[in-house]
This record gives sequence, structure tokens and C-alpha cells, in this order.
Amino acid sequence: MRLFSGQRAWVLQRLSVLLVLVLLALGGLRLLFWPAPSYEDWRAFTSSAHGAVLIALFFGAIALHAWVGARDVVLDYLHQRALRFAVLLLVATVLVAVMTRVLFALGGQIA
Amino acid sequence: MTRSRETAPRFLNLFAIRFPVGAIASIGHRISGVLLLVALPLAAQALERSLRSEAEFRALLALRASPWVSIAIAVIAWAIAHHLLAGIRHLLMDLGVGHRLATARASAWFVNVAASVVALAILVACLWSGVAS
Repeated sequence: MRLFSGQRAWVLQRLSVLLVLVLLALGGLRLLFWPAPSYEDWRAFTSSAHGAVLIALFFGAIALHAWVGARDVVLDYLHQRALRFAVLLLVATVLVAVMTRVLFALGGQIA
Repeated sequence: MTRSRETAPRFLNLFAIRFPVGAIASIGHRISGVLLLVALPLAAQALERSLRSEAEFRALLALRASPWVSIAIAVIAWAIAHHLLAGIRHLLMDLGVGHRLATARASAWFVNVAASVVALAILVACLWSGVAS
């Protein structure tokens, strides 16, 4: 599986994590300096266009970052071809499932 | 192609290698990364549950009062804190900041200790909210 490799993967992993860092910092500031969100606040945020997009971007950036990281770990420690392929396939399936679930949860809000 | 495959460095028996503080920060970065990947489906599930109804939203928040969930939250908090701090340390080193041995060792100590302190603080806070409720 050569979904992103070499320098392109390296750059993608760092660019995606910068987005994660910015969004985590924003979320952290919100939780630190404003009262804890009620259910209504949370619904209002997740069903607004900007809220849904930010959450989807957050999970998407994590998924890309995690794919490159998991690929590095698998290639370093697993040497058997079949096992490598099986674990990478499992990771890819989990990441796609996570993104599907997130998008459906957010989409259900807006619909 | 075959030649580079044969001469490429292979990863080694981890138990036969000595681990200086930088290596602990580094392997901790990998371990926490794998942990976070395993926890990612839980985050997606929590997002979905939190949006289902107000009762589900409250039930989700109330989970932290249970001691086992407190421990799981503390482990995930350690993973997030360590992965973030060690990752920022690596990013700074990519930029040429703090890559001299003394600074690198000091920042590795900081990462290892700070992540553990965060995990402990979160554990205490969760257990405390369990006792208080």
C-alpha cells in the first residue's frame, strides 16, 4: 500500500498536525475561559456550518496524521508482508469508519 | 531495488537497547500515538452519542465519575499530553531549535515528566468528581 510515502507523507503529517494543534488550542481556550457547554450550546455549535466543518476538519486532519504515523510504525516493526498488509488494511478501515461515523453524526444534525 | 532492501537498516530487538531519556520520550511518542489511534473510534462514538439526545449527552459526561473510566481517561490524557509535547519537541528540532544534546535531554525530561503530571492531575480530578457526586 503506497498511500502517501516519502517526503510527501512527511509534509502531510506535519501540515495536518498543525491544523489539529490550532483546533485543539481553540477548543482548549473555549473550555478554559467560558463556562462548560450545555447540551443546547453543543447542538447549536455542531449544527452550525462553521462548527460542523471545524469538527470534520479536526477528525480528517487526525485521520491523515494517524495514517502516516501508523504506516511508519508498521513498516518499522512488522517485517512480514502479509502481516504488514493486514495491519495497514485494518488501520485504513478503522480510519474510514471513523470518518464515516463523524460525517453521519454531523450530517444528521444539519438534516 | 533488491540491494537497497538488503542494506536498509532493520529495526532491532528493542529489549537489547539502552534507553536514554530522549529515547524514552521518543518511544513514548510512538506508544502514545498508537494508543490514540486505538482511542479514535471512541472519540467518534462519543461525538455521535453526545448529539443523540440531552439524556445521552449527560450520561456521557457522567461516565467520568466511574473509577475505571477515570483510569481510562487518565491513560488517554497521558497519551494526548505526551504525544503533543513530544511532537512539538520534534517539530522544533526539525526547525533546528533545541537539537544540541544538553537542551535535547532537558526537553525530553520535561516532556516525560509533564505528561505524567498531566495524567495524574486528570486522574485525581476525575476520581474527585466521582467522590463528590
